[in-house]
Formats: sequence, structure tokens, C-alpha cells
Amino acid sequence: MDLVLQLLFTGIGIGAVYALVALGFVLIFRATNVVNFAQGEFSMVAAYLMVVCVELGLPYWLSFVIALAGMALLGVIFNLGVYYPLRHRTYLPVIIATIGASILLSNSVLAIYGPQPQVLQGWFDTPGIQLGPVYLDSQYLLIIGVTIFLVLFNFWFFEKTLLGKKLQATSQDKEMASLLGISVSTMIMITFIYSAVLGGLAGILVAPVLFVSIQMGSTIALKAFAATIIGGFGDVAGAIVGGLALGVIETFGAAYISVPYKDGFAFLVLIAFLVFRPQGIFGERVAEKA
Amino acid sequence: MKLTRREFSAGLAAGLAAPALMRSAWAQGATIKIGMCVPVTGPAAEQGLWAQNGAKLALAAVNKAGGVLGKQVELVIEDDQTTNPGIVLAFSKLAAQSDIVAFLGSIRSTQVQAMAPDVIKVGKPVMIGGTNPDLTHSGNPWLFRFRPNDNYSGRVIADYGVNTLGKKKWAIVHSTDAFGTAGGKALSEALTKLGAPPVLDQGYANQSQDFTPVVLAVKQSGADVLGTYFTFENDLGIFARQLRQLGVNIPWVGSPSVVAVSSTKLAGPALFGTYGVADFAEDSSDVAKAFGKSYRDAYKTAPDNQSAWPYDAITILSAAINKAGSTDPTKIREAILATQKFAGAEGEYNFDKNGDGLHGYNVVKNDKGKIVYDKHIDFND
Repeated sequence: MDLVLQLLFTGIGIGAVYALVALGFVLIFRATNVVNFAQGEFSMVAAYLMVVCVELGLPYWLSFVIALAGMALLGVIFNLGVYYPLRHRTYLPVIIATIGASILLSNSVLAIYGPQPQVLQGWFDTPGIQLGPVYLDSQYLLIIGVTIFLVLFNFWFFEKTLLGKKLQATSQDKEMASLLGISVSTMIMITFIYSAVLGGLAGILVAPVLFVSIQMGSTIALKAFAATIIGGFGDVAGAIVGGLALGVIETFGAAYISVPYKDGFAFLVLIAFLVFRPQGIFGERVAEKA
Repeated sequence: MKLTRREFSAGLAAGLAAPALMRSAWAQGATIKIGMCVPVTGPAAEQGLWAQNGAKLALAAVNKAGGVLGKQVELVIEDDQTTNPGIVLAFSKLAAQSDIVAFLGSIRSTQVQAMAPDVIKVGKPVMIGGTNPDLTHSGNPWLFRFRPNDNYSGRVIADYGVNTLGKKKWAIVHSTDAFGTAGGKALSEALTKLGAPPVLDQGYANQSQDFTPVVLAVKQSGADVLGTYFTFENDLGIFARQLRQLGVNIPWVGSPSVVAVSSTKLAGPALFGTYGVADFAEDSSDVAKAFGKSYRDAYKTAPDNQSAWPYDAITILSAAINKAGSTDPTKIREAILATQKFAGAEGEYNFDKNGDGLHGYNVVKNDKGKIVYDKHIDFND
């Protein structure tokens, strides 16, 4: 039983990381109908910004604010440089452009900062708490807390605020939205900023656990992408549930079946969903969407 | 004069090729070229940089002492992207330059395995750092190893743990790549020979974000000592921290990555008190000390095996070409194999017929973040 609880905690913790990155995927997909393959690199860039600020001797909270502000700026640049020029084309050129951007981002950081992985201290001085037989890593607790908060925040933001509703309208039907006086390009700009900040937040939160390295984003993003498909592409709740499910499944699969095939379980579940329920857990049926 | 179509084509081809041929002939005359496949990008880009540093340090020394065959030596670097397809591509790019006389391959066994068939086809000496024993035991005459292979690391880990630390109940944790699998197997065999077969043999896939299941397996096995073969320092750092968090504090003797510079930095206190076999230990010999000093002077950081083996490889290769008196691959091969009692940064090189230069390891300890030399264990077979 102790073992199960410990695995459950870690599974949810790592799953929350996938969920945070998956959320960024989903928001951009809803707004623009494209998958942003640079979402993982957003996490990586933010973690490096954080490391740079902390190394400069700035307080942790200020470094955090600066890193997130930097991500907002990156969101703007990304929108103007990658999405905006291609917005009238089909989804394919945009997706290719995001892949290009992801290569550019990771190699730029490599060129500027060098290949050495870096250590980023966590928010708390205490590494964790021993709760009976289970060890709770404080950074994972924070990640889980932030994920819960973001679920509630997203619900409130998209359902209860005017801006959120405008964003939803834009993602559902751009022409109709613009006929109603909503500035579509502004809404898409806001979506990119929000996704970049979310991705950055995930990167900063996970950095003390996984270290800061060039490839940290791509490994998480791959799982997060699987999580979005499992949850139902384009669904916020789906991304969260998909992420958590993936984290728990791979942790238990590793513990009880095989450690070397840990990543295999995640993708086995992904394949199963693609075959039997391609719309994901929360996805609408294709017919409804058409 | 009537020109047939065939003569015309031949003439045209010769005309087009002439400048290139002349250029290559001129280039051949100017310097001696050594090709180096090294990760410039990808997960091991960090180690790749250190490998380049080590090679360049040796190169500078060789050139300062008059070069090779009276010419300066030049290093041609190609990015292997830390992947198997990457190194195959990098090696074929380098091999296409006919004036490159010999090569430095990878420190990663899996990459050496990937490029090995092409190495046979090219038929020129390739210096390697990968420690999977099979690499030099599969009938490939062109691979020369500048680190002790994992038969030795496994035996040294087992010998130290059983005879020096007095521990018999072993858990082995290893990566499932070529390096980790061979290392885990070698350790397991060495332990069985010493009458202490492992109670747990646990593989893991590289780039894992979480090691909780592995740590719990170690905990449940009831082992009183841990032996590891980790490929990437990131993985090792995450594992070490989770191991301590979940309350596993048994002695730990690991492959060189346990005492690598970046692991020590990433994992911090989680690795205090661990032992590692290290092919390079700065305090193990005068040559190692001298290498350490010049490396620190040049790059302001401590060297480890990632930079020590390319340093030795360039030094010994240059000496061998000089001794061979020619850049003929077979003559260089014979000269390398004839290298005996050569004091390098990694230890004393005595090449055997398989192309293995080193036959033992140092055991070092992480003493509160400082790597301290403990003892050297050598084997004659």
C-alpha cells in the first residue's frame, strides 16, 4: 500500500507537468487550429531565463516575474514571426514553421548559454515532507497545486470573463467573431502570449526536479502532446486529465510491468486512443464539429 | 582532330576534376588531418565540448613539439548530434575527405557500434572511448580503445565493493543502451564469480524524468550496496536525489558518470560519499596531474575522462604516425598496437592485440563534492 501511494504521488506530480505543457498546446490549437511544436521549447527558454536571473543575484520572485514577462514577449514575437505571416495559409505551413521555430529556439539557447545542464533551486528550502510512509517532494506539491489553480482559473477565465468569451468565440468561428466586432488577430496574439507564459511556468516549475537543459522541453512536450490527444485535442479539461492519466499510467507501468518500457506505456495508451477513441476522452465527435 | 564523344566526356571530367585534385594534393602537403566525430548538439553536447577541449590541448602540444612527420596536425570536427544516425553521417562526411589519415570516434558504445561497419569499409584507424567490451572483440581491426573496457570496470566495481567495502547483497541499476547493458552484465558476472550474485538487476531507459519505480525496487530488494551504470548525468542526478529522498542510503559504487564533473554539480549532496570507478583520476599519476594543470590553465575548469581520452588518443596517435614514418593505415595500426608502457593521462597504455590500451581503473570517492583518489586496480588479463 505504501508503495502504491508513493507511486501515485509521483505519477500525479509528473502528470501535472505534462498537463501544464499540454494546456499550452490546447489553447493554441483552439485559437488557430494548429499544433505548436515549439511549446516544449517555451518551457526550456523560461527555465534558462530563470537561471540567468538567479545567477545575476536577483531575488527568486523577481526572477520569476522577469522570466514570465520574457515569455510574454516571446509569445508576441512568436505570433508575429511564425503564425501571423502564414495565417491565411493552410495549417501545414504553420506547423512546419513551429517546428522550425523550435529548432531555432533550442539551438539559440545552446549557442548563447552552452550545453552544460544547470541547477535551479526550488521555491522552498525544504526539499520535501515525509507523510507517514510517503515522501512528498515539495516541488511536486507546488506543481500539483499550480495545476489545480490553473484548472479553476481557466474555467473562470474562459466561462466568466468577457475576454475569455471573446477568445472562445474566436477559436470557434473566426469569421463570425470578427463580424461581431472581435479583433481576431488581437485574440490570437493574447492566446500566444498566454500559452507562452503557461509553457514557461511549466518549465520554471519543473526545472528544480529535472534540471535545466536544452532538451528538457522536447522530452516533456512529446508526452504532453500524447496527453492532449488522450484528453481530446482542443479540450482544456482533457489536457489536464490526459496529462495526469499519462503520468500515473507510466509510473505504475514502470513499477509493476517494466521500467525500460516506461515510455512505451504512454505511447501504447496513445495508440489505443487513436484506434478506439480518436476524439479523446473529452473530445467532441467529429460529426458535431463539422 | 576528331574528338569522339567518349574522349570528350573523359576530357571534360578531367578538366572539371583537376582543380579539386590539385587542391586536395596541396592540402595533403600542408598538414596532417585527423577527423573527429563529436557531439556538438544533442544531449551530450556538453561532454562533446570537453572532448574537443582535450583533443585540442593535445594537438597544441603535438604541434608545438614539431607536429607529425614534419607537418602541423589539423583537427577536422564533425557534429555527431549525439545520435547513431548522426555519427554514421558525420563519419561518412569525414571519410569522404581522403586526406584524413585517422579518426576519433565516440565515447558512446552505441554510437561506435553504429559506425563500426563503415569503419571496416574505410579501413583507417579510429580511436574510441566507448567501453562496451565487444567493440574491440568483434574482429574489427581498426578500432583502438583509449579507455579501459567494461569487463574491467565491472570487475573493479565488484572487487572494491565485495573485498574493500565487504558488501555482498548487490542491486544493479543500469541504462538499457549498449553501454549500460554491457556494463550491467559485466558487473553481474564479476559479482557472481566473487560469490555475490546480485539480488536486483534493474534496467531503465535514457532520459527518464522520474526514477521512483527504480528506487522503490532497490529499496524492496533489501540490497546493502548499489552498483550503477548511468549514461547521462541528468538521469543520474534525478535518480540520486530521488534515492536519498526515499531514504535509500546504502553504499554506492558506480561507473565513471557517478564521479563526473557535471553529475557532482547537478546532484550535489545526493552523491556525497559515493564511490566511482574512474578511468581518469587527476591524482593517480604525474602525467594525469600535468594534464589536469594544463587543462585548468586553458579552460578554467576541472577535466574528467571526457577530455582525458581524446587527449591521450591524439598524443598516442601522433606518436604512432611518427614512429610508422608514414600515413599508411596498416603501418599506423601496427605502430599503435606496438605502443607499450606509455604513460598517458588515463593511465599506462599497453595495447593488446584487440586494440585495448588500458586494463584497469581507479576507484575514487566523492568526499563532500570533492573527488578524491582512493586506489588503482589493474588486471593482467
